Amino acid sequence: MAAETARKFEALEAQAQKIMQVFIKAGHEAVSPAILQPAGVFLDVIGESLRARTYVFTDPDGDELCLRPDLTVPTCRLHIERNGDAPAKARYCYNGTAFRFQPVGAGSAHPREFRQSGIENIGFPERERTDAQTVATIIDAMRAAGLKNFKLRIGDLGLFRALIKAIDMPDRWRQMLTHLFWRPHAFRAELQRLSRPAEESLKSIPPDLRAAIAPTDLARSERAVVDYLSSNGIEAMGTRSVTEVASNLMWRLADAKSDPLPPENVALIERYLAISGPAKAAGACFKDLLRDRGSAMSPVIDAYHRRLQLMTEMGVDVVHAEFSAEFGRQLEYYTGFVFEIVAPELGRESPLAGGGRYDDLMRTVGGKRDVPAVGGAIHTERLLSVVQGGAA
Amino acid sequence: MTEKLLLAVPSKGRLMEQTIEMFAKAGLTLRKTGNERGYRGEIAGLDTVEVAFISASEIAWYLKTGRAHMGVTGEDLIREQISDADERVTFLKPLGFGHADVVVAVPDYWIDVRTMAELDEIAATFRREHGRWFRVATKYINTTRRFFAAKGVIDYRIIESLGATEGAPAAGTADLIVDITSTGATLAANGLRILDDGVILKSEANLIASKVANWSPGARQAENEIMQALGL
Repeated sequence: MAAETARKFEALEAQAQKIMQVFIKAGHEAVSPAILQPAGVFLDVIGESLRARTYVFTDPDGDELCLRPDLTVPTCRLHIERNGDAPAKARYCYNGTAFRFQPVGAGSAHPREFRQSGIENIGFPERERTDAQTVATIIDAMRAAGLKNFKLRIGDLGLFRALIKAIDMPDRWRQMLTHLFWRPHAFRAELQRLSRPAEESLKSIPPDLRAAIAPTDLARSERAVVDYLSSNGIEAMGTRSVTEVASNLMWRLADAKSDPLPPENVALIERYLAISGPAKAAGACFKDLLRDRGSAMSPVIDAYHRRLQLMTEMGVDVVHAEFSAEFGRQLEYYTGFVFEIVAPELGRESPLAGGGRYDDLMRTVGGKRDVPAVGGAIHTERLLSVVQGGAA
Repeated sequence: MTEKLLLAVPSKGRLMEQTIEMFAKAGLTLRKTGNERGYRGEIAGLDTVEVAFISASEIAWYLKTGRAHMGVTGEDLIREQISDADERVTFLKPLGFGHADVVVAVPDYWIDVRTMAELDEIAATFRREHGRWFRVATKYINTTRRFFAAKGVIDYRIIESLGATEGAPAAGTADLIVDITSTGATLAANGLRILDDGVILKSEANLIASKVANWSPGARQAENEIMQALGL
């Protein structure tokens, strides 16, 4: 285990000062969120996959704590602690350590303790403008630190949501597809399942129970579940209610009765996911792809172009930016625009910076309502290694 | 620095008896030296071997760190406690006893959930209804994570359980469990049912060698003698 958290401590400190100066000049207040965080909040937000990489422990009071795996959630908690649920706009910036377990053999670009410098813009309703400001500020800061050669990659989950909203299908299918979006394999499997007659998915439901469920009558379906349980000597237990079990069975029956997703709609979703390339050209691709269903999609496509335009006005090189529809699949709490800065020296696996929009995070970490929010953070060790030349 | 080979074997219960029996069949007599309740032992006639009687879960740690050269313990414990198991140990031989399946079990009452895919399907609704992901009680934390990830299930939370895991759903501390079972009787008695594709690992006791132990010529020589006796 490494005995030193940073070999180039002074160089990192000097770099952080340059970065923070840019953030502060752009109107961000420097804050210092707690390093020790209640584990529950993180575990509910990030899911078990990042939990596996989070240092979690029990303190002498028996409370479950963790070392923060990023600074976005801690900054959201800080915002709620300061403002409660009162609507408040704020621009924050920070420079601090985050901690992630790395499996044996992870390279030096993936240290378990690393410093993030970042910004969060909370409560600003002009989404595209704030998205563009976030990218511009992060890039300005990296330039100030000496970065010259880099590539901007962007994605937009809002487009995917609008796309499946524009396609005719039961609401529950939309929920499933959105829920599975983060997991390409499961997503593909679900898409295939929805495109086939669903009879076979009912085979696991016992025939007598299946016959007794009324697809549109909850009270009758609940009685059917209760009857099935009592005639089979099964006791209800735990948190799930009979209503939940009955509703789920009703949905599955309804799914089986719905017409499968037609092949042209499956193809449409697949063609959308395959879009990747120069950011401006991608905009034209959406228009092509969605010609027939333009009406529902046009507001998000307009927003996409407006954001590119605003970024250009703010000095971001949009011409060489790259769009990928699948981008964002690893970043669970993002809800809309996402971005990454990559350098040729380190490649896509180790981005120098990244961020995006997370409009429902505030509610997940304890707020009463969704709050528009977007932020980004720089992986400062990687930035320094690229600026100083050579691999990390 | 001793030149001896350290062999770690289970210190109690059926697992210890069956281990001693297995070595006895191969003509190797394991016995404790000194106090009957002590943990040190030897193999009669093989003075290059030292035997440590320790708990089955500690054996995994002995092999992982190289404190022991060889050991007998369950594959489930090795897979759980050593994230890079194949880098650190070699499974020399499955021994045909200590059978236990590591399984995912849900309340039998969840009549709408029979597969991992159906479990994943209720995740989003569960979250909406109860304001949290469903909880999985287990002592097999790493094993659970790997299996759930491989099945594409990510929206859940593990609650570490150090005993009586099968009681957690009834007690309300968790919604489902990952645990070992040999006959399934304990699960059934607690109103739980194994998912159709919920068998994570069919484990049994194994003879295992550590790759990271200090393999002095003496230890190597002792290993050869044990292997020969076992017909390996």
